[in-house]
Amino acid sequence: MKYQSIKSFQDIIFDLQKFWANYGCVIMQPYDTEVGAGTSHFATTLKAIGDDAWNVAFVQPCRRPQDGRYAENPNRTQYYYQYQVILKPAPLNPQELYLDSLRTIGFDLSEHDIRFVEDDWENPSLGASGVGWEVWCDGMEITQYTYFQQVGGISCSVIPVEITYGLERIATFMQNVESHFDINWNGREDEKKLTYGDVLKRFEREFSCYNFDVASVDIVLSHFSDHEKECQRLLAHNLLMPAYEQCIKANHCFNLLDARGVVSVTEKALYIARVRAMAKNCCQAWIDDNSQENVR
Amino acid sequence: MTQKELLLEILSEEIPSRFQKNAIQNASSLFSKILKEYGTHFTSVESYISTRRVMLVVKHLLKQTTDLYEEKRGPRVSAPEKAISGFLNANQREKSELFIRNGYYYLRIEEQARDVRDIIPDVITEFIERMPWPKSMRWYLEDQGTVSTPWVRPIRSILCIYDSEAINAFIRPVGLTTCGHTFGHRFISPGPINVTDFADYAEKLEQNYVALDYKKKMAFINNELVLQAAAMGLCPAYDEELMEEVTGLVEYPFVQFGAIDEKYMKLPSPVLSTSMRIHQKYFPLVYPDSTPAPFYGTVTNVPCTQTIREGLDRVLRARLSDAMFFYNEDADVTLEAFAQRLSNVVFHEKLGSIAQKVDRMMSIANSKEEHRVVALCKADLLTQMVGEFPELQGVMGEIYALKQDESRAVAKAIREHYKPKGAKDGLPDSYMGTRVSFFDKLDTLVGFIGIGITPSGSKDPFALRRAALGIIRLLCDSGHHVLESDNLSWYIDTLISAYSEQGLALLPETMESVHNFTISRLKIFISDKFSVDSEIVDSVIDSFDTLDFDYKDAVAKAKKLNILHGREGFPVIREAVKRALGVIGEENLQVSDLNEKLIFENVHLKSLRKHIEACLAKQEEDLVFQDIVKISGIVLDVCDNVLINDKDLEIRLNNLKLLNKYITLVKCKIGVL
Repeated sequence: MKYQSIKSFQDIIFDLQKFWANYGCVIMQPYDTEVGAGTSHFATTLKAIGDDAWNVAFVQPCRRPQDGRYAENPNRTQYYYQYQVILKPAPLNPQELYLDSLRTIGFDLSEHDIRFVEDDWENPSLGASGVGWEVWCDGMEITQYTYFQQVGGISCSVIPVEITYGLERIATFMQNVESHFDINWNGREDEKKLTYGDVLKRFEREFSCYNFDVASVDIVLSHFSDHEKECQRLLAHNLLMPAYEQCIKANHCFNLLDARGVVSVTEKALYIARVRAMAKNCCQAWIDDNSQENVR
Repeated sequence: MTQKELLLEILSEEIPSRFQKNAIQNASSLFSKILKEYGTHFTSVESYISTRRVMLVVKHLLKQTTDLYEEKRGPRVSAPEKAISGFLNANQREKSELFIRNGYYYLRIEEQARDVRDIIPDVITEFIERMPWPKSMRWYLEDQGTVSTPWVRPIRSILCIYDSEAINAFIRPVGLTTCGHTFGHRFISPGPINVTDFADYAEKLEQNYVALDYKKKMAFINNELVLQAAAMGLCPAYDEELMEEVTGLVEYPFVQFGAIDEKYMKLPSPVLSTSMRIHQKYFPLVYPDSTPAPFYGTVTNVPCTQTIREGLDRVLRARLSDAMFFYNEDADVTLEAFAQRLSNVVFHEKLGSIAQKVDRMMSIANSKEEHRVVALCKADLLTQMVGEFPELQGVMGEIYALKQDESRAVAKAIREHYKPKGAKDGLPDSYMGTRVSFFDKLDTLVGFIGIGITPSGSKDPFALRRAALGIIRLLCDSGHHVLESDNLSWYIDTLISAYSEQGLALLPETMESVHNFTISRLKIFISDKFSVDSEIVDSVIDSFDTLDFDYKDAVAKAKKLNILHGREGFPVIREAVKRALGVIGEENLQVSDLNEKLIFENVHLKSLRKHIEACLAKQEEDLVFQDIVKISGIVLDVCDNVLINDKDLEIRLNNLKLLNKYITLVKCKIGVL
């Protein structure tokens, strides 16, 4: 059996895992709840707070119900993969490290036009903001690169850098294909070849239907309220990570309701405010807890 | 000769493009300011900026700084101990070194001339600390275990050469030691480069693909775009903002052209060009007759390979395919149907939905066509295209209106009603566009001011100042009779009623507050635009006895008065008017005519009377002005030499009537004062 000449989707992931493990990152697994971005993983948000060193990398599947296109758009899906790296503190050469990681996965940088284009990041509900770029490859954004400056409304005393790769976009470049669904997933060129479409097309189509057309509004609504209540209850027990998880879940419920088209603009603002309040409470509790630990 | 030249290069990670142009001027003026504060002598400071670097060259920086001698004043002798010790600490001195003069403590500060190389590290540190970036960040300095002082992006290397020798100094706030080498282009020539002086530096940068001069880089891009496009029989649409943006995004410019798939050429040209400019930073190209061509120009940071070329085309295809998707989706829905859904879009929590805003604008619209424009003007906010490209609001409205066979005038007014978007944006062309723009902005002002939201300081989240300025420009500069036969109060009042009919109660003082707000902005508009002294503007505005005065008239009067103020003799007129008005006070002088006989008994009054009569008959403006200056001199004489407030009531009133004639003359010949 001949090994592929093309870099497969899974090989890109393997290579990134190896690269960042060699650098000294903990290789974690995805957060097992629906998140809109790797930033929501507790390994990013909560661990960015405080002075302890923390280097981590993981793949994170992301859910953005609004972005579904019933698997009919080549580049837009409601489910996709990010590769998330947090280096805390940011070393002195993070850009070089990032470019090295691209070389490692087989990117020929002399063949491409790589650019760092200003793009700052802000998440008001977490009181978090950062400064950075989106990385462009031949005009397409393939990575977000952010130096955190504030979390929980407090200036970071140790500055982390977050590097978020868009795996599908990188794969379409490496494999020179137009559509995410044409990405070669396992690298085989024989009858055992599996594409991204083979693996995920049905998932994409069915979830688009679920998100837009079929999800039970009543059930999702009651889930939202339940998660919100549970979040408050858990905070009272000082169980901060479970409380934060409830906040993440409530946020996903809101995104679903929004995609379902049942949230008017006025209501939307109210839901966002409720999620923000949860996130803020969790984050504040985490900071308070952390500072107490430091005193101890 | 490069003698005694200082070369400094601060190399960082990529500097946001939009900061670069202003940083050039800021860097050189700050650096020269700091050098002067340190008592150095030099002939000039020049600065340059590139994607990753801020560069400074100081010519003829003398090796020695000047001796400093200063007597520094401290607190009063009676000041609390704390203030005195604070003064001493700040200057690192002992109490015994203080001396007293005129009740104050003083210190003698003497600094001997220093070798300039000893102070350069401090100058660099201060420069980094004081450079005004619009937004900066801190990064972690591992060796020191602290965060850095802020800079626009993390600094990675500092080159510093004085008089052809490298300076090695540790700059603690950024944890770096300055050195004698730099680096080339990040991708084409990344290796270290040793440098001896600025001429050498400039040459080596060029060899290693870093364009030193921002303006030359921009000119090169522009030139290449125009030349290469011309060879294809095309030209790029000039776009200064985009030009600056792409200039700041490349260390070395390579101009490249690409093709647009024919099937996307069916998209309206504003959609094509917005997608290219905003998302991709590509330059749209047009044929000589200005129709869009299926090509684009762009700038890359490395020479273009086949892979890059394909990539650039592919990204644009993906973007345009999305745009095409939105355009087709929108095509299935009429603007009326979109407009109906505006009740779901919140204008402001306390001011209802956009649909309600539209209803209120209806109440002040007049003709049938105007009502049509108002009904449809906000509909495109709900199209997918505007959802994707907010900057196309209005533009899509016009395109979709024409598609559904609205009249050209209605379609154009839909687009134009957003104008002017800011102080630099042009006004609407059409009468209806002007009117509806006025309705929209006035409804916004009435609503927000009516619920007590007014801008304060730098806070103006709802851009009310911009709305007011828009209204003022529409009223003064559009050349249209925006208000038709009604006055501003009628419009405000009708809107207030419309709000209240919708159950949205506004504050009782809304009418007056809106007037006051727009008038306060009018004052600023006049003094800024025509450089009119604010006192003059105030006097013009105060001279109107109604809030519903004509803004255009106010502008004209202020301009005229401003010219008068510059004329010789004007202070005499102003003084005389002031004195005359002061004497007249609140007296009612309308009762009877002047008693000529009484006037002729006094030589001063007689002369005044004669001159006023003569002047009233004259027309030629210059002569009239000179006359009035002369008459004003007589008025001042009268005030000095005649007992105006005579014990005899009749004489007194008669004197006042004469002075009042003078005031009437000034008002009638010169206008307001």
